[in-house]
Amino acid sequence: MKNLFKKIIFLLILLPILSFGQINQKVWYDGNSRAMFYRDALSGDLKDIDTTSTRSEGEGYTAIDLGMHFTPNDQIEIFSEIRVKNDFGYMWGSGAYVDLRRLSVRGILNDRISFNLGDMYLKQTPFTLNNFDQELLKHEPSVFQAYRDLINYENFYLDNYWRMQGLQTNFSYTFYNAINSFEADMFASRVRGVQWLGEPELLMLGGTSLIKLENSLVFAINHVNSFEVQSSSLDTATYYNPVTNLQLKYAKKINSLTYRLSLDFGGSIRGWEKNNGSTIFETSGGFVKAKLKAAAKNLKSSVSFRYVDPEFRSAGSQSRRVNYISSPSTYAYYTNNSILRPVSMLDITSDPNIYNHKLSTSLMQYNTLYSAISPYGEATPNRAGVDFLFDYKNDEGSVLAIADIAFFQEIIGQGTEEKRSMLSSGLSFTAHIDKITGLKNKTMFEASLNTEAVNRGGSELESISFNSLLLSAGLSYELFHNFKIISGIKSFSGKGNEVGAQRDEYDQIVGYELLDFDSKEDILMLGLQYNFTKDIYFSLQTNQIDIDDRTNEISKLSLSRIYFMFNMNL
Amino acid sequence: MKKLTYLFLLASISFLSCEKEGIEGPNLNDLFGELNIIEEFQIINDSASFNTESAYFTAKFSKIVDWKISITGISSGAQKVILGKSNEINATNSLWRGEVTTLPFFKEENCSVLLTFPSHNDTISRSYRINTAKTYGNGSELVVSDFENGFNPNFTNFFQSTCLKKIETGSAGQSDRYLVQEGTCDWDWLIGYIDYPTNHWYQQGTLNANPENVYFNIMINGDSTLSPTNEANSLFKLEFYEDENQDGYYDPNTEDRLEVEFDVDWNGWKMVSYKYSDLILAWNSGGNAIREPNKIIKFRTLLLANPESGFAKADVDYIVWSEGSSILNQ
Repeated sequence: MKNLFKKIIFLLILLPILSFGQINQKVWYDGNSRAMFYRDALSGDLKDIDTTSTRSEGEGYTAIDLGMHFTPNDQIEIFSEIRVKNDFGYMWGSGAYVDLRRLSVRGILNDRISFNLGDMYLKQTPFTLNNFDQELLKHEPSVFQAYRDLINYENFYLDNYWRMQGLQTNFSYTFYNAINSFEADMFASRVRGVQWLGEPELLMLGGTSLIKLENSLVFAINHVNSFEVQSSSLDTATYYNPVTNLQLKYAKKINSLTYRLSLDFGGSIRGWEKNNGSTIFETSGGFVKAKLKAAAKNLKSSVSFRYVDPEFRSAGSQSRRVNYISSPSTYAYYTNNSILRPVSMLDITSDPNIYNHKLSTSLMQYNTLYSAISPYGEATPNRAGVDFLFDYKNDEGSVLAIADIAFFQEIIGQGTEEKRSMLSSGLSFTAHIDKITGLKNKTMFEASLNTEAVNRGGSELESISFNSLLLSAGLSYELFHNFKIISGIKSFSGKGNEVGAQRDEYDQIVGYELLDFDSKEDILMLGLQYNFTKDIYFSLQTNQIDIDDRTNEISKLSLSRIYFMFNMNL
Repeated sequence: MKKLTYLFLLASISFLSCEKEGIEGPNLNDLFGELNIIEEFQIINDSASFNTESAYFTAKFSKIVDWKISITGISSGAQKVILGKSNEINATNSLWRGEVTTLPFFKEENCSVLLTFPSHNDTISRSYRINTAKTYGNGSELVVSDFENGFNPNFTNFFQSTCLKKIETGSAGQSDRYLVQEGTCDWDWLIGYIDYPTNHWYQQGTLNANPENVYFNIMINGDSTLSPTNEANSLFKLEFYEDENQDGYYDPNTEDRLEVEFDVDWNGWKMVSYKYSDLILAWNSGGNAIREPNKIIKFRTLLLANPESGFAKADVDYIVWSEGSSILNQ
């Protein structure tokens, strides 16, 4: 009897396991890992003057993001990523955290319609939904990869996608007539949840429909609508912001050149609606963008024209990455007055904690010093202008050169009938010296130069003259296989005057701030890096950081930094 | 393809010429520019008789600016303040019909006129002569008393033995004479009261029956600085008695009494005005609860003060009923 009972128990335990195996379930794992440590020490004049800040400070952690993929059948995948993080300097788990980093379910219905539920990455056009790059990143040398990877990974920045939560679905049909194919992509996302006695819930609905014709013509319509749910809050007014972008694309090959012509146009409405249906404040604006690309074997070039109305507003495409209303990780408070240190190139380059993850319903603050021309990416309102881009690569791929120049003008003057004219240019050069000279060890040199110039005529009060220059360079030399010595510099300087706009809750300009700049910032880097693969590497480097705002006696900072990072992305 | 390229360039050039009229945001010059007087500050006419005439001011500035014109009667101390924000002062934004902002009323007197700018140090002064002071009212007003002929003995009253009422000359709210009410009473809240029976009002007539259209106005001179704690020490109460059955008597059991009370927490003269429909029905009012100003038989003014807080004062002048709006708006 005892044996029979044991057998029944054994069967009860075993049966679910047996049935589990019968439906061909699969669980597999992947993950990313990072160990990071930095230590900053005050140097330069501030070391002697500032007697209230610590002489040095730093932090570090080890983090493992364990991804679990569960596929109950071949049409559904459940994915979760759990972060286990342990700050350096703690014992027995006191500085350890376990967080759910990502959770999603994706699958395909009837082999036709795919869906994604939970965490998802969304992107449309630069005018509807686009997570445009942060300032001071353009043509950044690869020797700064360790910082860049850290910022992108920790903030879920994947190309120019926004990481959101909700439901996404898409499907496509292929035809065999004048229409080649039809594709549709739709999503519903919850941008902001319910807050206790706070702002209402913010949702975003959107979709893209695309028709490809057999004569290389593509028509597309992109639409997003972000809106607050009135019933989810005690607020008397709720926000709405539908944006539409129509696209026409045409490609043709003539001789050895491939031409691509694209035309984008559309508009936005943004307002606040009261409970009774009346509108408190509403603005609308349009945009047009035309781009012509020509590609040959070694040279790619493009010319584009852009016009964005002063009242064009798009939460999905104008939300910025850098949040200037945040305190930096490194020496957040400094000087004997313990003042909050403003976000600078140092933080933009190396601090993941000053970055924003959420769409903003109003134009976020920016620093004119670092981003005077396109603070809201391509969707920056009140701009009309052209830009040119040339991209050259030699046959061997040993020399790459990129040059761009853009000229923009305001459509309407801010505070004056005089309008700003803006000129930006960039030049990037990459040389694989080993390929050119026949050197045995891999050696790469990168250099880039980016300038911004803003000018406005008029009286002494109205006139603006501002120039900035970002100079970057990097050199890497392979000591032995996959182990290289790296060095680099990022040097930024900005000088001149500008007029900053102060906006109210509806983004209308209500005042100005007269700004004077005379600033120089440098990051010098020297280190070692071993690459197991492109995305698995460790980097040990020392940095010398200098910030010198010459308009303000106390805004100076010099730091010496030791930085280590092991990065593993699978 | 060539055509498309030309089309592209043409579209680009045409859009580049897109410019919008006007400016975005407030004018920079208005916020940060220097203030220059482009056209001198002037008063149209050196004097005016405000029974038939009005006055206005002119000036032009280099930017839109907050400005303030203060007209002060040299003899009366009355003050009229005109505020504006513009780059031009003209008839539309500075018309003055002789009315007052801070009591007492203007008299036939010389005035000093000052133009100042809250965010700038510039001050421009002028002088002006009032030949005939403005008379308030639209013809429907009824003056109860301005105390120029003394205190009407038919206004029955009671004042505590340590308190007084008296007619004073000079520093009146209107014209020359006013009624002083003040004193200290450490055993009772009441300083004193005065009844103003309808049949003894200075001007006789019947008030409009519509309570939305009838305003009671009384000038009160407060002096809260006299209180030991430098806080409002005087409580003023108004009571209005209706003779609903028109039998010549007020019966508290069957007829309405309306009232209102407020702290006299200011210094100097102030015109206090109440719309009759805003008055509160007394808790023990026994009438039809309909506000009927045409059936008022008398009103009473009471000066009250906390017995523990000492001296109280609320002088009175120019008690008048007006129709359509408060008296200062006429």
